[in-house]
Amino acid sequence: MLDAVFVIGGVGFLAALVLGIAAVTFAVKPDPKEAEVLDLLPGANCGACGYAGCAAFAHALVQDPDTPMACTAVDADTAQRISSLLGRELDVAGPMVASVRCMGSKDSAGSRFSYVGPMDCRAAQLVAGGYKACGYGCLGLGTCEAVCPFDAIHMGADGLPEVVLERCTGCGTCVDACPRGIIRLVPKDALVELRCVSLDSPKVMKGACDIGCIKCMLCVNVCPFDAIDVLDNGGPPVIDQDKCHRCSLCVDVCPRGVIDIYRVPQKVRIVEDRCIGCSICDQVCPFDAISGEPKGVYVVDLDRCRGCGLCVDKCPKDAIVRVGDA
Amino acid sequence: MLSFRGGIHPPGMKHLVRDRAIVDMPLVPLYRVLVQQHIGAPAKPLVKAGDTVKRGQMLSEPLGFVSASVHAPTSGKVRGVENCINPVTGLGSPCVVIEADGEDAWAEGIPFDVDPFSMDGSELISRIRSSGIVGMGGATFPSHVKLSPPRDKPIDAFIVNGVECEPYLGADHRLMLEEPQRIVLGARLVMHILGLSVAVVAIEANKLDAVEVMRKNAPGSIRVEVLDVKYPQGAEKQLIKAILDREVPPGGLPMDVGALVHNAGTCAAIWDACSRGIPLIERVTSVTGSGIREPKNIRVRVGTPLRDVIDFCGGLQEDASKVIFGGPMMGIAQYSMDVPVTKGTSGILVLRSREVDRSSYTSCISCGRCVDACPMGLLPNVLSRLGERSMWEDALEYNLMDCIECGSCAYVCPAYRPIVHFIKHMKALAREASAKKRQAV
Repeated sequence: MLDAVFVIGGVGFLAALVLGIAAVTFAVKPDPKEAEVLDLLPGANCGACGYAGCAAFAHALVQDPDTPMACTAVDADTAQRISSLLGRELDVAGPMVASVRCMGSKDSAGSRFSYVGPMDCRAAQLVAGGYKACGYGCLGLGTCEAVCPFDAIHMGADGLPEVVLERCTGCGTCVDACPRGIIRLVPKDALVELRCVSLDSPKVMKGACDIGCIKCMLCVNVCPFDAIDVLDNGGPPVIDQDKCHRCSLCVDVCPRGVIDIYRVPQKVRIVEDRCIGCSICDQVCPFDAISGEPKGVYVVDLDRCRGCGLCVDKCPKDAIVRVGDA
Repeated sequence: MLSFRGGIHPPGMKHLVRDRAIVDMPLVPLYRVLVQQHIGAPAKPLVKAGDTVKRGQMLSEPLGFVSASVHAPTSGKVRGVENCINPVTGLGSPCVVIEADGEDAWAEGIPFDVDPFSMDGSELISRIRSSGIVGMGGATFPSHVKLSPPRDKPIDAFIVNGVECEPYLGADHRLMLEEPQRIVLGARLVMHILGLSVAVVAIEANKLDAVEVMRKNAPGSIRVEVLDVKYPQGAEKQLIKAILDREVPPGGLPMDVGALVHNAGTCAAIWDACSRGIPLIERVTSVTGSGIREPKNIRVRVGTPLRDVIDFCGGLQEDASKVIFGGPMMGIAQYSMDVPVTKGTSGILVLRSREVDRSSYTSCISCGRCVDACPMGLLPNVLSRLGERSMWEDALEYNLMDCIECGSCAYVCPAYRPIVHFIKHMKALAREASAKKRQAV
């Protein structure tokens, strides 16, 4: 009895000794910075940065000075704090958000057959390429909602996903999951989007969906900024978000109502005591909404102004501000 | 009686067409011959709009070894290579549309009469290949590929599959009763090609009349085996297990265990191709189910639109609700009446609305019935729960890819879970991921 106690006790003591020495000799000191950086990262482990999760990305940021700021979910303020922690400047890309390019709701887009099966768009896509009459439209079973790590996309009552702009971090998980490739990432301040990706001819399209793009090209022709690109594949034109000034002319001209604007930009006014009458704004305005005499004070015709902001950017005296701003 | 582990016993429903002799379906004005009617590499159309074609003329050229050509079902004018719905995928697919001229004139040189037993194996295989023969049980795997095993995998056992375990279907049954000689001669040709001295014809015990006929017609070298009536007895791997007591390894092919299985209809087509030069342009199929007015076994040309077949069989009952190509277990529901009959259309089943269950599924209650039913020894309960969450990586650990999609699990599930659909969904995700990986490397 006593022998056993000594033998087992002795083995235990020896093992503890070896482990204790090993723990001291081979200890790996974690960089405390890693924990601090990890605290600042969103912690959703969405994988958009290309690393296995937030911890792996924090490790890479601290250990490898060449690691770019690949996290799409941090805002500029947090990125600044991470920069100061690391002691190096990080380039932060402008925030992106998911944009769902289909407006074919339950009421406006028809079905070819009734689908019975798993409620996952990818599974529904396996059955004859999806039950919707339009081969490109949103299937509406909510795979994007299910995969979103930020709870930023919800299925609306009309059967289409709605992106919660405040929560969406542009990680792109939904973009990869959507079997129809409808979702793309756009800059967060891009507010105009043509919400259709159908390559069908206008005739086929009209049979399948009440609202889809019929490629009439009215929007392309009306755009004063040349911001709507015609693609080679014969599909709907795509809005170049870098060139778009959100004047919403295309929104008004679209006969199908498939171009969407989230928030109409504020119109502009001219601060009288700053205006020197240089006439640059008059020349630059695509809508002929600014008038006045050189050397005098120019005025904005609010009925004509569409808030594109070209004049705001060009004014050398910062004399043009948005209506509502000081 | 010989059988395998697992499986289910759905109602056979074979009585609808059991006693109906095969009738030839008359010519129709328009044929849509899909270019892709096989598993494997695509084929390239050889004709264009305005061409005149003769019955049996080759319409497409296979691109690759695992591929098959298609042939004109009748003589006429090509309207064009158009986009038609493929009944298997449900997607648009190129097909040669032929306006029949009604003369049904054969292409030059066929049919002829030769003794194929005087030819050697490679010549016969190339003839089978140019005749566009594919597995007619429904999987449509090109037959010449099965007949060309690599040197290190010699085939020592050949099974003619006359099991027809899908409920409702009776086309192979009628073919065995009415034209046993074509099947036997085709089987003997396969034996000749592979240098085999014996073969087995496998038939389920619900077709004892066919067993008798085949025994009468088969020479001593071909044995007829009677199998337990159980679904999926006709599945290749289950058949090999039952007859030869050999197990095809996971991810493997029958040739890995030295076995070859050909459907009875395929054997008949092989005989026609080799002895008379007739390519695969028609097949026997059962048009059945309570939703069709006159169930029939018909000999129909490949490319015949579904609408014409339905009309020939008296039309649909008023409350017909679902049209399925194939049987009720593994068949594919159709959403258009314009789809054409293909080489793999083993049956056309029409169900009435009261026979179609559209109830939604509920949570898995872990009853384990699917585990008992699975003929592959998988765990469908685990797979279906993983499928609900799209967890295909975990499902691979549970041998996801070994599922033969027979539907036995979904048939017995008391929660009406679409288990096979979950599994297909995960298989698609896994294939997509491995394709992406391959691209990245």
